[in-house]
Amino acid sequence: MLENLLAGGQNVFDWASLAAIAFGVLWGIVGGMIPGINATIAMALLLPFTWGMDPINAIMMLAGVYCGGEYGGSIPAILIGTPGTTAAAVTSIDGYEMHKQGKTGIALGTSLISSTFGGMVSAILLIFVAVPLASVAIKFGPSEYFALSSVGLTLVCSLGGRNVFKGILAGAIGVFIASIGYDPMNGIPRYTMGNLNIADGFGLVAVMMGLFAISELLLQAEELTGDDKFSIASKVDTSLPNWSIIKTFMPTAFFSSLLGTVIGAMPGVGASTACFVAYSEAKRWCKDGNTFGTGNIKGIAAPEAANNAVTGGALVPLLALGIPGSNSTAIMLGALMIHNVQPGPLLFEKTPEIPFSIFVALIVANIFMLIMGYYIVKLAIKVTSISKPILFACIMALVFTGAFAYSGDTFDIFVTFIFGLIGYLMKKYGVPYTATVLGFVLGFIMEANLRRALLISKGDWFAGLFNSPISSTLLILAIIAFFTTVYQNLKKPVDVETNGNA
Amino acid sequence: MFKSKKVKVLLALLLVFVMFAAVGCGGAKEEPKKEEPKSEAPKEAEKPAWPTKDITMVYHSKAGSGGDMFLRAMSKSLEGPIGRTIIVENLPGAASMNAWKYVDESKDGHTFLGVSSTLITSPIMNDLPLTYKSFEPVAMMFVDPMVLFVQAEAPWDTWEDFQKDAQANPGKYNIAGGIPGELGFVAAKLLQEKAKIDINVVPFEGGADATVAVLGGHVDGAIGEYGEAVAQLDAGKLKVLIGFNPVEGVDIPTVQDKGYDFLVEKFRGIVAPKGTPQEVIDIWADAALKALDEPGFNKYWNNMKLVRAYKTGPEFVKVMEEQDKQIRAFLK
Repeated sequence: MLENLLAGGQNVFDWASLAAIAFGVLWGIVGGMIPGINATIAMALLLPFTWGMDPINAIMMLAGVYCGGEYGGSIPAILIGTPGTTAAAVTSIDGYEMHKQGKTGIALGTSLISSTFGGMVSAILLIFVAVPLASVAIKFGPSEYFALSSVGLTLVCSLGGRNVFKGILAGAIGVFIASIGYDPMNGIPRYTMGNLNIADGFGLVAVMMGLFAISELLLQAEELTGDDKFSIASKVDTSLPNWSIIKTFMPTAFFSSLLGTVIGAMPGVGASTACFVAYSEAKRWCKDGNTFGTGNIKGIAAPEAANNAVTGGALVPLLALGIPGSNSTAIMLGALMIHNVQPGPLLFEKTPEIPFSIFVALIVANIFMLIMGYYIVKLAIKVTSISKPILFACIMALVFTGAFAYSGDTFDIFVTFIFGLIGYLMKKYGVPYTATVLGFVLGFIMEANLRRALLISKGDWFAGLFNSPISSTLLILAIIAFFTTVYQNLKKPVDVETNGNA
Repeated sequence: MFKSKKVKVLLALLLVFVMFAAVGCGGAKEEPKKEEPKSEAPKEAEKPAWPTKDITMVYHSKAGSGGDMFLRAMSKSLEGPIGRTIIVENLPGAASMNAWKYVDESKDGHTFLGVSSTLITSPIMNDLPLTYKSFEPVAMMFVDPMVLFVQAEAPWDTWEDFQKDAQANPGKYNIAGGIPGELGFVAAKLLQEKAKIDINVVPFEGGADATVAVLGGHVDGAIGEYGEAVAQLDAGKLKVLIGFNPVEGVDIPTVQDKGYDFLVEKFRGIVAPKGTPQEVIDIWADAALKALDEPGFNKYWNNMKLVRAYKTGPEFVKVMEEQDKQIRAFLK
């Protein structure tokens, strides 16, 4: 292994490769920052230019984009409450809250440090356990996926703040929206009312842009009344976190990195799910979990460490099994295949220097990300000094452009707008829209895998769902989590009236 | 200090614009590939009146998707023989209708449509006003070969072993396949009918998930594209029991070898709007044939494990007609 690592290092440490990685990371961060352009799109845009490159450089550049993209989304999530990528949606819960409290620098610094840390942990894990991790990934079948998404979905109970039912309601709305479009088991359109535009369901990006960004802009625009308040006077602390702060979120970041790596290794789950699961687990296990959602630093560290750890994890099925688990890795597969490199079990046997170069490149990419992120954060923080009306207009334009750019379908502009109004109403009435997004993200995975599991078990619920230690443990965990949250919530007197105005 | 900050802001803005510009054209203008200076000079005495401008090739899925990457590679190899730039335009959404409607309504004579079996399945599943009959066939290029594969340690060594076992245990074996309306599902249904077996077909959305489910032992086997399982097949972790289409260079017993009388072909090809003159279609069909042997593209489709299946005119229509019938038969 050491010699493979050295060979890999040799591939990485030459000027062309380092330049490719650096450019990739920068491209990724900028892409991630733009709402509507996620890591996948940023990679797809670069793909044609990699065809003329050396295959190893090409894949390293794409790995850099992947890293940068997963991080970049957190910057607008914190600064303007608009996640640049779907994976940064969770970050905006606590991140934007911290920004509103003036702790902008700490929030941005936390996201940068945890992202780098998550990426590093997963890259180092890859070097040692890429192949064993692949065997964990294949243990996840339909019932395990269902169980995993159930655990993630229990988070909706606690997202509603003091009223658990608002969370469940919002989550149920999300699950319902996920069921619009074609039925995953028989391919027939559902709830589309004959409208072809939603035959494939609603796009996650458009829905999320509406619920997060447009609603926030509308809400904030409402507060703009006096002309003298147009330039933000509220003090913004731009100082980055120091060591004593970093210490407080490191355990969370480490735990989330492990979680992100493992979830990333599962085909078809992805960064968004990893973030939600990491956030909900951090909330569950941290002593100060009840302050999540009100600007807790760990609420940034958990999802950000997780979504960058996914980059390493996602390479596991791609490299070790030859199976792309996500759109991002499918693009990497395309880049490798065009150069006649076929990832899979044989890759590690025949040309181990290729996977190991990628691992080393990931580590280097994370270092670049830390450095570039530092300067980009310093620059991005200046956004807070722009006059609000100008800023809002710019964001509005960016969000709609992004929603269109992501899918290339003008219909998504309307979707963004409609969900913006829905999100606005939800915020007005204290219904947690984050729970809706969570339900939407997990709803489809849950439904398809539940039905698959039942088909495999020939309709036997118990045999279908509790068929392995993994799924049984996860499901029991989900059930316990659900009932304890509901119980705790019911025990406390809930003042529905005041909560409604929150 | 101030100046350098301004430069930084400008650079950042520039990068943002470049990215949007790139999104806008979907990476259509790719840098020219080095190894294809095959721009043949006017080959015939009378130069045809077509093409008079650059050509647009429309596709129904997003930039960067599998089908899109294939189409871009193909378009590049078609540029030589046709002698014009081919721009790939992605119009996803509305169950593919956005792309198809655009081509159907285009009257400039330079807009064409890249198609896959989705052209047959989506109109049926979504009851679309446009079908394969709404377009003029140009050329069918490839077939994505489909196979039925199981774990290498599975107890069956040959197709006959599996067939006997499945006949003795009706409904026992879970085989991952596509969702109804997809060709994988049709293949599974036809195989059951012709081989007189009863297996439990579990719909999976993508070949990747299905392959993992087989490796993890969650299902007993899967029907999927050969290209999606090739890494595991080569490594000896999976084995093929039967193929639905022959795969070049690989010895796989096909359904035809076993005497089952059916053909399921996941095709990729090009069609034109109705009313395109026959001469134009002929130029295209010729160019497509040449593109198949263009070295760069040849390497590409061989790597992707696609099977050459060049068919034009009525032959191409026949494939589509057959597929249309197959899918409708199982949705009744």
